[in-house]
Amino acid sequence: MSELFTIFISMALVNNFILVRFLGLCPFFGVSKKLSSALSMSAAVTFVMVAASAATWLVNNYILIPFGVEYMNIVMYILIIASLVQIIELFIRRTNYALYNVFGIYLALITTNCAVLGITLINTNEAFSFIESLVAALGAGVGFTLVLAIMSGIRERLELTDSPRAMKGLPIAFITATMLGLAFSGFGGIV
Amino acid sequence: MNLAVILILGAIGLGSGLIIYLANAKVPHKVQGTEKIEEINRILPGLNCGACGYAGCFSYAQELARNAITATEAPCTVVIQNPEALGCLEKSLNINLDASIINKKALIRCRGRSPVIFNYSGVKSCRAAAQLAGGYKQCPYACLGFGDCTKVCPQDAISIDSEKGVAAADFNKCTGCGLCVAGCPQNLIELVPAGTKIAFRCNYQPLKDIPGREKCQYGCTHCLKCFKACTDEAIIWNKDKAIPEFDIEKCTLCGKCIEECPQCTLELFTEARAEARPATHRC
Repeated sequence: MSELFTIFISMALVNNFILVRFLGLCPFFGVSKKLSSALSMSAAVTFVMVAASAATWLVNNYILIPFGVEYMNIVMYILIIASLVQIIELFIRRTNYALYNVFGIYLALITTNCAVLGITLINTNEAFSFIESLVAALGAGVGFTLVLAIMSGIRERLELTDSPRAMKGLPIAFITATMLGLAFSGFGGIV
Repeated sequence: MNLAVILILGAIGLGSGLIIYLANAKVPHKVQGTEKIEEINRILPGLNCGACGYAGCFSYAQELARNAITATEAPCTVVIQNPEALGCLEKSLNINLDASIINKKALIRCRGRSPVIFNYSGVKSCRAAAQLAGGYKQCPYACLGFGDCTKVCPQDAISIDSEKGVAAADFNKCTGCGLCVAGCPQNLIELVPAGTKIAFRCNYQPLKDIPGREKCQYGCTHCLKCFKACTDEAIIWNKDKAIPEFDIEKCTLCGKCIEECPQCTLELFTEARAEARPATHRC
């Protein structure tokens, strides 16, 4: 149990996907202008990460390893994740419309996100068990949500500040991101 | 060994494709209202170009299902150009989508005949010329003829008539994108419904200062002759701007207003020209 908790904290805070591993930077800057769309994006990312981890763990352990073709895992994972997300999107759209509106367009957009592919490859490299990889994915998603929520909260306020004209928009967001990264480096070493 | 890899990869790819296909065919539509969205989505081109202002074809379809009038306010340019798709959309939304009203065309509201008051030899751009003493023409609202609009037009639909020094839009090439409207520093260009019959080609703004007759040979003098000449009640006199406005549906293209206009400000809009009498080409 404490093992799982360690994995969760490690993924969410210490080895945060965005600020420490530098994965998923495009949504970090692209969708962090508004808190509502940032939350919707991170909900979709978390969901897809967990689903993709489960699917790729099964494929890796029951197909790739028995046939000795682990070296093809990147190609396989891309294929698996893309088709999985397509099917999930179709299901949600037709069965639960409120949920579909929460995820919005982001669910389909993140099929090829590096954070999603990243978590599956990390799970494989660390040789996590099924439960462990699910917890790792959930932790990574929670960390992603946390950083995106903090960032969009800051950026919403930055819009109103009197920053120099040349710094408005992305430049000031980059500077904010570095400070946020420094702050998160304070978690280093707690697990 | 290599063959095994190829087979496994191929099998998984084929399998996932098959699952998506089956899911698409078998998963029932449980949520009410989504059949309609799916139906509209099938009519839309599926390019996800975003020209309508929505995130993609599906979110445009969602908006259409919620509020059918969106089809005229933010029309899909691809559907409009395809009569078959337009018919399907009309049927599924149960509203009348008249392509001649939704489709917009650029109308350049100046005939460029205002006298030149000084020789301008600066930067060859309308925006630069307009900033020097209100332009080199007597009428401060006139077309300056350096073709800022031709430079922004992606369809090459606007050309400059070098003799008259005025821009002219090609009706058939124009897609109504509106880039020229923003590109003209004189605010001369207006998007009008493609079915417009009579074009009022003067940008003169009477409430500012000057009477048109002195400024331009072809400027509106607000004489109301066109309004009085119209027997079909198709002309509505805009009292604030003191200019005529036209009711597309009532106009029968009789050409009386064009004949009556002493200043030749009125003209047949390009598409209607073929149907009208030749006598109206007086100017």
